[in-house]
Amino acid sequence: MSVGAVAEWAAFVILAFIAVAGALGMATTMSMFRSGIFLMGSFIGVAGLFILLSADLLGLLQIMMYIGGMLVMILFMVLFSHDPGGSMMAGMEMSLVERLFSLGLSSGTAEMEHGDTGATGDMEAMGGAGGMAHEDMGDMGGMDGMDHGAAGDMAGMDHGDMDMSMTTPMKRYAAGLAVVVGAGLVALLVLRPAWPISSVTPDPESARVVGGLLMSKYMMAFESAGLLILVGIFGAVFLARPGRYPDQDARDEYVTADEPPPPIEEDAPPRGEGKKPAPAARSLSVLEAHVDEGDGD
Amino acid sequence: MDLALRALGAMGALAVATVLTWLLEPRLLSSAAEKGVAAPVGVRDEKHLAQNPDTWMYSAGPILAVLGVVFAVVVIPWGDRLVPRDLGIGVFYFIVVLDFVVLGLSLGGWGANVRDSVDVYYRGVAQLVAYVVPLGLAYIGAIMMAGSLSTQRIVEAQAGMWFVVLQPIGFVLYLVTGLMQAYRPPFLEPFSAFIGGGVFGSSSGGRAIGWRIAMSATLFLVAAMGAVLYLGGWRGPVLPGPVWMLIKTYGLMMLMVWGGARFRLLTAGRMLELSWKILTPVGLANVLVVGALILLGVGPT
Repeated sequence: MSVGAVAEWAAFVILAFIAVAGALGMATTMSMFRSGIFLMGSFIGVAGLFILLSADLLGLLQIMMYIGGMLVMILFMVLFSHDPGGSMMAGMEMSLVERLFSLGLSSGTAEMEHGDTGATGDMEAMGGAGGMAHEDMGDMGGMDGMDHGAAGDMAGMDHGDMDMSMTTPMKRYAAGLAVVVGAGLVALLVLRPAWPISSVTPDPESARVVGGLLMSKYMMAFESAGLLILVGIFGAVFLARPGRYPDQDARDEYVTADEPPPPIEEDAPPRGEGKKPAPAARSLSVLEAHVDEGDGD
Repeated sequence: MDLALRALGAMGALAVATVLTWLLEPRLLSSAAEKGVAAPVGVRDEKHLAQNPDTWMYSAGPILAVLGVVFAVVVIPWGDRLVPRDLGIGVFYFIVVLDFVVLGLSLGGWGANVRDSVDVYYRGVAQLVAYVVPLGLAYIGAIMMAGSLSTQRIVEAQAGMWFVVLQPIGFVLYLVTGLMQAYRPPFLEPFSAFIGGGVFGSSSGGRAIGWRIAMSATLFLVAAMGAVLYLGGWRGPVLPGPVWMLIKTYGLMMLMVWGGARFRLLTAGRMLELSWKILTPVGLANVLVVGALILLGVGPT
């Protein structure tokens, strides 16, 4: 084999490893943030395989889409999850793979004694997220610490009410399904009689060719995708528009609107006189009321 | 052998340019209220870290950012046939690999697990969303006229006239979005003093130096790409190509940094507003104008 072929082979092995290990890490790590980053890494590995197959434009497009898209997606995951950094769950009983992909998250056995350090660190992260009440986090951290103190074996315990997104009873079935599908794909790969090998040299101006195809042969698909995205943008603008209740005061007013408003007579307590004061004279009557009170004392 | 030589040349150019930028930038910003990225790096500072940093992400951040700028310098042309690698999709490649700086910022900011530092991730992503569309539109004008994504072809297409003369709107758009991409004032929200200097507030030693290298190199690369897209790259009389390239790059950098420091700092929300309400429509208008110019036969044939 020539140097180029060896380099190509080595690049394939590295990129394939990144793609597979990224996918595995995505499913097994305890940190939501890491999970997203691993998925991004997996896609970037696949993009590297595209580039290795001389589809450089496609590979770079994939990298660009997934860096931007995944960072935004992780942002939403962080906003909506209880333990995005995984420091609470990283102290639990983990399988070997989970331990491997959660390395560096916390200090394993040391976490057992100091169960609440994880919660402290996590509160820092959550403070940034701003999506959680701190007392709530403190409570959860306390539970975490208690659990560690009580039992080293967490496998049989039920933490359903703690919303542990990474620990789910369906995990083994999902893993089994993944293995079956993977075996099927590999079988297809092996059993397929012959792969057609093209001798066409890749076009260095692939961007021009892709652009030409998008604007001629696949124009309908391209333009309908554009229309779809436009409608999506309209929908987002429609949902995010300032409505009838744009701020908190307006919303409060809306919520309390059903209660009967307090009768106006109670606002300015009239003393003695049965007449209702005119609006302009109201402040004056309030003043008088205060004066009356002062006199009474 | 040739490959190793090219790689070495590219890295040498990047190192020299980064050091120059590092030295030059604080002087340009001497009057600015907030220096942001250009503030001195506290290599030996004791940094407060939360108790459970995600150590791998924390270390991966600066490494990824430096890798991004190292990859990006590959397509910067320094002279006739003097380019580390003239990729057919060079400009697009440049945009994509500079995204690794944002990825590094996110990882490093999150991994430190300090409140201010985690904020870098949120604000950095908001800034990415703000600049990425107008930045692409700022590139498209030059790409349309040159008819190619290759940096070398874009420079050659400006043999008659620089694109800055033909597309002044696109040039201004590039100045603004380039500042956003480089996190320079007035767009330094992820590095603002409000959140303790961002990742600089939570990293010291090698990590801080890594961040500083990555950010200086990003400014240099943005200015160099501006020179390639709008100022004719290495083209110029008498002096050799690399000298012209350096002059144009640093001239553009001074213009950008000096001009940006005249403005009040913008928050990420303001940046998004600026992006969607002003820059994106202006960019689309620029695309229309450039298309009309091409149809009228103005520009390179």
